[in-house]
Amino acid sequence: MARFLLLRLGLIVVTLLVISFAVFGVTEVLPGDVATQILGQGATPENVAVVRERLGLDDPWPMRYASWVGGVVRGDLGESLVQRLPITEMVGGRLVNSLILASFTFFVAMPVAVAVGIWAGVHRNSFGDRLASMFSLVAISLPEFVTGVVLIIVFSTTLGWLPSSSLVEPGTNPLTRPQILVLPALTLTGVMFAYVMRMTRANVIEVLETNYVRSAILKGLPMRQVIWRHVVPNAMLPTISVITLNIGWLLGGLIIVENVFSYPGIGRMLLTSIQTRDMPLLQALALLIAATYAVSNLFADLAYTWLNPRIRFA
Amino acid sequence: MSIASFLSPATRESVAPPAEGVPLLEVRDLSVTFYTPRGTVRAVRHASFTVRRGEVLGLVGESGCGKSTVAFATLAYLPGTAEVGGSILFEGRDLMTMPAGELRDLRGSRIAMVYQDPGSALNPTMRVGEQVEEVLHTHLGLSGQAAEERAASLFESVGLPNPARVGRRFPHELSGGQQQRVVIAMALACEPDLLLMDEPTTGLDVTTEATILDLVAELKDRVNAGIVFVSHNLGVIARVADRVAVMYAGQIIEEAPVRELFAGPSHPYTAGLLSCVPAPVNETGLMPQLRNIPGSVYPASEPNVDACLFADRCPMVQDICRESAPPEIAANAEGHPVRCFFPERVDSDTWGEPTPRPRKPRSTNEAPLLQVDGLHQYYGTDQKKYIFFGPPSRRPVRANVDVDFAIQPGRTLGIVGESGSGKSTAARSIAGLERRTAGEVLLDGEPLAAGVGDRPRGQQSKVRMVFQNPAASLNPRLPIGSVLVRSIRKSRGIGKAEARGIAVELLESVGLDGGYMDRRPRELSGGQQQRVALAAAFAADPELIIADEAVSALDVSVQAQVLILIAERQRREGTAFMFITHDLGVVRYISDDILVLYGGHVVETGPAEAVLRPPWSPYTEALLSAAPVPDPDAEPSRIRLEGAVPTLRQPFAGCPFAGRCPRNLGDLCNNTPPPMRVDSADPRHQILCHIPLEELAADQRAAMRGRSAVGETPRGR
Repeated sequence: MARFLLLRLGLIVVTLLVISFAVFGVTEVLPGDVATQILGQGATPENVAVVRERLGLDDPWPMRYASWVGGVVRGDLGESLVQRLPITEMVGGRLVNSLILASFTFFVAMPVAVAVGIWAGVHRNSFGDRLASMFSLVAISLPEFVTGVVLIIVFSTTLGWLPSSSLVEPGTNPLTRPQILVLPALTLTGVMFAYVMRMTRANVIEVLETNYVRSAILKGLPMRQVIWRHVVPNAMLPTISVITLNIGWLLGGLIIVENVFSYPGIGRMLLTSIQTRDMPLLQALALLIAATYAVSNLFADLAYTWLNPRIRFA
Repeated sequence: MSIASFLSPATRESVAPPAEGVPLLEVRDLSVTFYTPRGTVRAVRHASFTVRRGEVLGLVGESGCGKSTVAFATLAYLPGTAEVGGSILFEGRDLMTMPAGELRDLRGSRIAMVYQDPGSALNPTMRVGEQVEEVLHTHLGLSGQAAEERAASLFESVGLPNPARVGRRFPHELSGGQQQRVVIAMALACEPDLLLMDEPTTGLDVTTEATILDLVAELKDRVNAGIVFVSHNLGVIARVADRVAVMYAGQIIEEAPVRELFAGPSHPYTAGLLSCVPAPVNETGLMPQLRNIPGSVYPASEPNVDACLFADRCPMVQDICRESAPPEIAANAEGHPVRCFFPERVDSDTWGEPTPRPRKPRSTNEAPLLQVDGLHQYYGTDQKKYIFFGPPSRRPVRANVDVDFAIQPGRTLGIVGESGSGKSTAARSIAGLERRTAGEVLLDGEPLAAGVGDRPRGQQSKVRMVFQNPAASLNPRLPIGSVLVRSIRKSRGIGKAEARGIAVELLESVGLDGGYMDRRPRELSGGQQQRVALAAAFAADPELIIADEAVSALDVSVQAQVLILIAERQRREGTAFMFITHDLGVVRYISDDILVLYGGHVVETGPAEAVLRPPWSPYTEALLSAAPVPDPDAEPSRIRLEGAVPTLRQPFAGCPFAGRCPRNLGDLCNNTPPPMRVDSADPRHQILCHIPLEELAADQRAAMRGRSAVGETPRGR
């Protein structure tokens, strides 16, 4: 087990190195000179040269890459070009906000999706199953920015139950006003919920057909025990893979949803950094998102291993 | 909920015994019809039988005859699309009308089942102990330590090694035989009154099958239950059953005590089935010619008609058979019900005079068609502990190690061994489907390239392969005609019209008429598909056909058709066969030479008649004694192999078979590679063993004499 973990952690480091290289490369080839960007259109060439000198932009790229990566390793993500603040400080609070929104979505939506999927699979072709299938089809086909706007119109503009904007007052935590989380989380949930639910349903149906479920039924076990001890653990194995894939989707969704609801998370920050060509910030955020994805994948794999004795300790 | 389920099994016996004279299980006029989107399937047509406590009823028949449906109906477990007629009375109570709750209390506690393919019958994510304990918990209210201890004692009673610890294992950590023992333990958990065993040994190796049959035979005496044993294998039925019911097209066509049935069948179908099984070599050394039942089973999609359903295939059919359905009549004074108008006319000649199988004359100095020297086949590469560096953690699997053999033109080499012994690997590397790791292969004296793609076209068409599953090897979208025509044109370079003519001839040679040219594989039965696969192999006019378990999935009557076909082809065209099978009866019937593989090594080789007589290598001896014989009076031999062929990643220090060998001499066998010993009677007969052949032969002859002299030999381990 220790060897497995060590190997996986090593792989994550390799993954992040490759990603850092890609992120660095992409920001390198983006058009627009950072120094000009900082100083504005009217900057004199001398000033531009000074700024370039100060930022080390004239160094060859391997050196700049090395100093950037070196900084990251020491916990120094650099300085934002626009706000002139250490990125580590800027990102901290935003990251917490995003994680709160993502976890809220993940830990509420996933269990519900799995539960609905199990129910629909067991009661295949019932009215409830058809309703769930229809709902999930609609959810899958609508992109987040549509769902978000529709939810705002219904629950905020029309019914007035929930705020349409999810701004967090500086110095406070989103959890002090949890109602602001509901609409973004619902929006973010839509597609994921549908995928996971449909996948769970399909797996439950498949497992119900297996010989070992037949054995369980013919052992005279109560149906509830057949479902919870024999069907669900086996149906969860492929579902976990889908959930893992959805973590990536969730992170991508954050960018859109945070912007629709003006929620101060890293997704919104990422978009701002692109608009203002704040390269160091963009690089830092991209790397951060990749790291989150890699680590959550590791946890998903651990869960899979734990559920599947066939690959346990492999 | 019944009171019985709250009581321990020991006290339950005394509670409310059923009325005197009521049989344990009585199936009355059972009909099961499935209405599926693809048509109506009449799986069971008016079947009746009874099972009494303490007896084993063997339910035998070919695939699709409804025997498994009967077994599942006995647990009232049928899909919702099934329509059931008649009644299934368990101690006089009809299971079909029983409330769901009561049925659940019966299942797993008083009626239990053992399944085919134990690997899939066990939950892969649950420890096997838990799977047994949940039965104990549900029906007997046992939990915790009490349940664990009872599970351990159950594991012990079915002969699982290390019973106290085996419960902690997951199904995939057990061998197929051990998995089946777990399933049996699960079925026995609540000491059931009725035990249903649905093909419990099908798909297991003969060696494993023998140990499971030993267990069933022992259970029969130990538990006071009625057992319904479903099997397609007459040898297996002969070993365990007290009474046998033969099913055909959903009907029970004959029922009799096991000895009576095997000695004097009263239905022509039963007689035919018995003559389809390759029998062991008799004292004269002559192999009786196989007979076959022409045609195929009356389809389940056809309605019930007022006629004998076997009439179209029956050699003694009369007009009356086609005009009215034969009633169930008694064939003799003791009963022996049979569904035939003329049971008295059925005898050993119903299917023709038995004739010895023609033996091919052996030419001594003919050059071999195929010569294989030092064939090695390894799978995978060395894996390092830390992926890119470190000591090697996984060596390649050694599937074939230094295998030598030769096949003469027009002769058949039978290759036998358990699964994992490297038979199929050898076939695939000769066919060029796997690139061999090392070794030289000569065809007609010409070297044969490792990959099939690197061989010149002439060589490609000289070697053809036939696989176990014909449905998977025929393109489902292509009509059969185009498969054949393509193969003929590719190998002979002739025009389409001419090739079509040859294709029709080929189909006729395998017993199918030209009308099959435009049919697609799925419209054919399994046996017909396999005959088409053979015709496709013949199409290229090959010199060597490699048949990898080509008849294993077929019913005995169809298997006989295919074996006869192969023998005919060989006589006419002089085609050589490399015939891989786990069925020793088939090997005996078809082979001129035999090669026995174990763990990728050749352990015995030689002409069939020499290999089948002592001396045998201890492995061959074990294989032979494990094979079920279709004779209820045959004394089961005592040599049993436990476990399975190990997956080999390291070279052996000693003999490859040492770990399981019943004749292991200890240090010598474990640490020194054995010599290939040559039989003085026939120098082509060679055995890999430390024990001198004279000693082996003497021991083995004595063991055989001991068995036939002493009537009652202790069974099994």
